[in-house]
Amino acid sequence: MFAVMTGQKLDRVPVSPFAMGYTAQICGIPLGDFYADGKKCFKCQLLASDLHGYDSTPMYAYASIGAWEFGGEIGFPYEPGHGAPYVKKHPIEKPEDVDKIEVPDPKTAGSIPLFMEVSKQANALGMPAVFMIGAFITHCGNAMETSRMLLWMIRKPELVHKFIGKIEGYEKLVTDWFVDTFGGDKCMAFAGGAIESNKVISPKQFESFSVSHEINIHRYALDKGVPSVMMHPCADQNKNLPFYKQIREACGWKGKYVWNFGPETSIEKQIENFGAHDVIGGNVDPPSFQTKSFEEIVMLCKDNIERGIKNPSGYILMPGCEMPPLAPPINVHAMVYAARKFGSFE
Amino acid sequence: MKQEIFDGLAEAVVSGDTEKAEKFAKEVISNGLDAYEAIMDGCSKGMGIVSQRYEAGEMYVPEILCSAEAMNVAIEILKPHIKADPAVSPKKVVLGVTKGDVHEIGKNLVKLLMEAAGFKVIDLGRDVSTETFVETVKREDADICAMSALMTTSMIFMPETIKQVKKVKPDIITMVGGGPLSPDVAENYGADGYAKDAATAVKIAKKLVGDI
Repeated sequence: MFAVMTGQKLDRVPVSPFAMGYTAQICGIPLGDFYADGKKCFKCQLLASDLHGYDSTPMYAYASIGAWEFGGEIGFPYEPGHGAPYVKKHPIEKPEDVDKIEVPDPKTAGSIPLFMEVSKQANALGMPAVFMIGAFITHCGNAMETSRMLLWMIRKPELVHKFIGKIEGYEKLVTDWFVDTFGGDKCMAFAGGAIESNKVISPKQFESFSVSHEINIHRYALDKGVPSVMMHPCADQNKNLPFYKQIREACGWKGKYVWNFGPETSIEKQIENFGAHDVIGGNVDPPSFQTKSFEEIVMLCKDNIERGIKNPSGYILMPGCEMPPLAPPINVHAMVYAARKFGSFE
Repeated sequence: MKQEIFDGLAEAVVSGDTEKAEKFAKEVISNGLDAYEAIMDGCSKGMGIVSQRYEAGEMYVPEILCSAEAMNVAIEILKPHIKADPAVSPKKVVLGVTKGDVHEIGKNLVKLLMEAAGFKVIDLGRDVSTETFVETVKREDADICAMSALMTTSMIFMPETIKQVKKVKPDIITMVGGGPLSPDVAENYGADGYAKDAATAVKIAKKLVGDI
C-alpha cells in the first residue's frame, strides 16, 4: 500500500480489505477485546494480513467515534450481533451541554490512547502511525445523538457549528500528539464517517457545517508534515464529491491521498475528480463479501480492478467500507486471488 | 375554507413549520371540522409529499425530522377531537432493529412514514431479539413484521426471525431493510418484501397488504 502511495514500481495491484473485526474473528479473539485492547487489535490485523498476503496498514478506528472522546460512554462489542463499539451515553443531551463541554486532552480522550497503542506497534515495524481527522458531522452526531444533531442543524444550527468548532480544536490536538510522538513523516491520517452520507444530509448541509473545518484540519495535518491521508467518505456521498475536491484544491493537492468511497460512487467519477493526483481505493460492495460466493467476489473484484487500474495516480483494490466481520475467509482471499490474476503488472 | 385549512396543514408539515401547524390545527377545531379528516387530508398528505421528496433526493433527514415535529404538534391538538374510530381498523406493523444493532434512524423514518400512511406501528426499538419479535407479532396479531439492520453482523438474525414469526402467524408479511441488505439477500432470507429506504418501505407495505 505504501508502495503505491509513494509511486514505486509494483508487481500487482495492492489489496487492502479494510479488515477490522474480521481479523479478530479469524484469530479467535473476542470482537470486544479487539476494540478494547490496542495490542490485540494490532496483532490480529498483522496476522490476518500475513495469512492472506494482503497489503494493509493496521490501524484503530470505529464508526461511533466522537461520543466517548468528549466524555460520553461506549460499549464494546461482546454480544451477538455487535459489529463494533457503540454509543451508550451521549455527552451532549441538552443545548447548554454544548457550551459546557471542553475540548478533551487526546492523551486521555476515549479511544485516542487506543489509536496511539496501535500506532506504536505499527511504528515499531516501520508502518505508518494512523490517527483520525475530519468526519466532523459523524463526530458531532455521535456526541449529540444523530437525530438530535440533525434536528438542531435546522432548529439550532449555531449549536452544531459551535460544537464542530470544538471538534476541530480537538482534532488539532490529536494531530499534535501523533506528530510529536512519531514525527509527521511517520504518520498517516484517516478520515471517514457515515453520517455525512447524502442518504442522511444534503450536500448543502455538508458544505455549511463541515467543509471549512475539513479544509482547516487537512491543511493543519499536511503543514505538520503528514504525507498521506486515507479518505473514506462512507456510504452514498456522490453529492458531496465536489466539496471533497474543493478540500483537496484548497490544500493545493499537497500530500498523497487515497480515496475509498462507498460502492455508490463509480470509480470513473472518482478518477475524473481526483485521478490526476490521488490514489483510488476501489469500492467493491462490502456486504457481498458475506453473502456471495468466492466466484462472484472474484468477478466483482475483476470488474473493480479493470476500472481502477486506469487511474493514472494509482489504484488499490478495496471494499467500499469495512470488511464484514463474518465474511468467509475464502472471500477475503478472493481479493488477493483477483489481484494476482487480473491485476498483475508483469 | 375547509380545503384551505387542510392544505395549510399539509404545507406546514412539508415545511416543518410548527407554528403554522399549530395555527391550522386550531383552525380545524374552531371551525368545527372533522379532526380525523384533518389528520388524513392535512398531516398525512403532507408527510406523503415529504416521503416523495426524500425518495427523489429533494429532502433529507434533518428536514424530515422537522416535518415530523410539525406533524406531531398538529396531531396533539387534533387527537382529543377525533369523534369515532375509523370504520376500518389500521393494519398493524411490528417494527424493530435486529439484535445487536443500535442504529435506528432508518427504522424511525419507516415508523414515521408508515404511521403517516395510516398503519399502526408497534415500535420495538433497537437491539430486538427474535423472541421479542415473535411474542409481539403473536400478542398483537400483527399484519406485518418489519426488520431493519445497518450491520452485516446483525442482519444475520433476520432469517431465523422470519422463520419463527411465520411459525406463529403463517400469513404474516415480513419485510426487511437497511444498508447491508439487498433484494437478493432479502429473498434468500425468505422475506416477503425488501425496501431500500423508508419511502419505499411504505409503498411495499401498502402493496403487500393489498396482496393479502
